[in-house]
Amino acid sequence: MAVKQMQYLIIGASAAGMAAAEAIRKLDSEGSVTVLSDEQDMPYFRPMIPFVISGKKKFSEIMLIGQGPYQGANIDVRLNSRVETVNTADQKVSVKSGEELPYDKLLIATGSVPNIPSDIGGVEAEGVFVLRTIADARAMARRAETAGHAVMLGGGLLNLKAAFALLERGLDVTLIVKSPEILSRLMEPDDTVLIRNALNKAGLKLMTGSSVTRILSDSTGVIGVLLDNGGEIPCQMVCIGKGIRANVEFLDKSGILVDQGVVVDKFTCSNIQNVFAAGDVAVTFDPITGQRIVTGLWTNAAEMGSCAGRNMVGRPSAYSGTFGILNATQVADEPFVSMGIVHTKGTDYETHIAATPKAYRKLVFTPDGTRLIGALFIGDISRAGLYRYIIRERMSVKDIKSDIVNHRLHYGYFLR
Amino acid sequence: MSQPKEIFVRLDRCVGCHTCKIACSVEHSKSKNLFEAISEQPAPKNRVYVEWVPPDRKVPVLCRHCEDAPCMHACISGAISRTEEGVIITNSDKCIGCWTCVMVCPYGVIGRHLETRKAYRCDRCPDLQVPACVDSCPTQALVYRTVEGFSGDVRQDAAREMISGKGN
Ligand SMILES: Cc1cc2nc3c(=O)[nH]c(=O)nc-3n(C[C@H](O)[C@H](O)[C@H](O)COP(=O)(O)OP(=O)(O)OC[C@H]3O[C@@H](n4cnc5c(N)ncnc54)[C@H](O)[C@@H]3O)c2cc1C
Ligand code: SF4
Ligand code: SF4
Repeated sequence: MAVKQMQYLIIGASAAGMAAAEAIRKLDSEGSVTVLSDEQDMPYFRPMIPFVISGKKKFSEIMLIGQGPYQGANIDVRLNSRVETVNTADQKVSVKSGEELPYDKLLIATGSVPNIPSDIGGVEAEGVFVLRTIADARAMARRAETAGHAVMLGGGLLNLKAAFALLERGLDVTLIVKSPEILSRLMEPDDTVLIRNALNKAGLKLMTGSSVTRILSDSTGVIGVLLDNGGEIPCQMVCIGKGIRANVEFLDKSGILVDQGVVVDKFTCSNIQNVFAAGDVAVTFDPITGQRIVTGLWTNAAEMGSCAGRNMVGRPSAYSGTFGILNATQVADEPFVSMGIVHTKGTDYETHIAATPKAYRKLVFTPDGTRLIGALFIGDISRAGLYRYIIRERMSVKDIKSDIVNHRLHYGYFLR
Repeated sequence: MSQPKEIFVRLDRCVGCHTCKIACSVEHSKSKNLFEAISEQPAPKNRVYVEWVPPDRKVPVLCRHCEDAPCMHACISGAISRTEEGVIITNSDKCIGCWTCVMVCPYGVIGRHLETRKAYRCDRCPDLQVPACVDSCPTQALVYRTVEGFSGDVRQDAAREMISGKGN
């Protein structure tokens, strides 16, 4: 057992940071666990912030500590504590206030920040938002009180969620995407029919193949957007959802290896001893392709954070990686699950598609057809976890292939 | 602390009569009475499933209340937690129907209330001494015991050992 009391320091108090803190606390009741956050609010379930915009939940209902696996017992969470530099030689970090904090084990769990494209003018106007924190959500909710029309830039899942929150508040919402389709990271254009119908039904206006060059504003803030074709759309708020990138700037001079995100080994350790990373900020790998990826998933951040916590306590625990795509959600009344490899155009993957008016399913196998590598379910997502398991464990699908293709699989098949 | 009990499945005994499913639905109905439960809206849902594996095998499947419960760690709203008795429960008030838990449960045992957009699963019947499914099974294919008590004779038949052996 540890001879001296360990000082565990975690930067970032969200999925990865708090999951790590819990994992550490479980294994080491003696050491000190300090979690630094640059936010003003206690940890919360970040994916829930759209509900604060729509008004369906209050902040107190989406707070993290005391819910699910998060006990928060004997974990010191310090708010308003932005880490400015990490000194890996002396094992300490310096916080905005000027305070320096030493560590024995450090976890970087600073997540990601939204991209703001440089080719859009006027983004500093009042009423332009990127949705990442509860503070953003509150500001959006405030603006939505007086706004009548919102324009969303980008057709990713986060922007769709924000769009729905605004629709629920009674705003008119127009979503503008450059690519020919929405959700292009999670499915191919031909896969989106059911989702698009659901969006239409819910009242979302969709403009594909266009982009905004400039946000127009006056003293009241946003008054409209200028399109690349010269057209103008009047609106009172704009929400930018153009992807995210790892939050690593503050590591510039630390010597910690960064390539898109903090590069870690199988045991979530960076190139520098005693420095670990997990969650959106870390580069992980995809077990199907073996490729390095940064994910942007709560599920991955929580799982990787727990794993990092165990490693920090000295219980080597290999991280099994995650699929780049591992999304479940419901848009309007259409549930869907997208996982593994679902983009098949121009590849020789064996692909099975079944489409009915109510459900859509696409199952992707290796070119030789022996292993399942991806699945997309829209409408009927039941037992999706079994398929994830088959993909992740690279199981041979010989005996059960027709049951997979026909979405008849159940756990009983694994008992043979 | 006494060992928590679990529901085990003796596959060799299941005849596929679906009695457990009915007992489960009734226990999770408003009236808790078969005749009234049938006409309740929304229809009460069973949380134990009896699956059929060719050529002719029947397999009751239900939540294993996993030790490291992937569903609990994955839930994006904090709706899933473990009770002091070790039972993994879904809090409907918190659940927002994002179906992340459905995507990660390797047993495929989380159901969806489509009307209310809430996930549901086996709750081990908190109001009963013995879960309704176990109590109802005419062949005693379902048993409710501690892991130790069960492991003597029929351990290899228990569904949970099969999958945990594969490293999940
Ligand atoms: C609207 C929305 C909906 C989402 N929906 C889903 C979903 O349905 N499913 C899903 O899987 N994922 C979803 N996500 C993604 C998910 O929220 C993230 O992947 C997850 O939060 C990543 O967790 P993390 O701990 O790695 O980092 P983050 O949650 O980004 O947290 C990092 C924390 O570190 C703080 N920080 C950063 N730099 C510093 C510093 N220098 N000093 C101190 N503190 C610092 C940040 O302020 C932040 O609080 C959603 C995200 C958003 C915004
Ligand atoms: S729902 Fe699935 S993952 Fe969750 S505890 Fe039950 S069996 Fe395990
Ligand atoms: S469906 Fe409900 S219980 Fe399941 S992960 Fe989503 S919020 Fe949690």
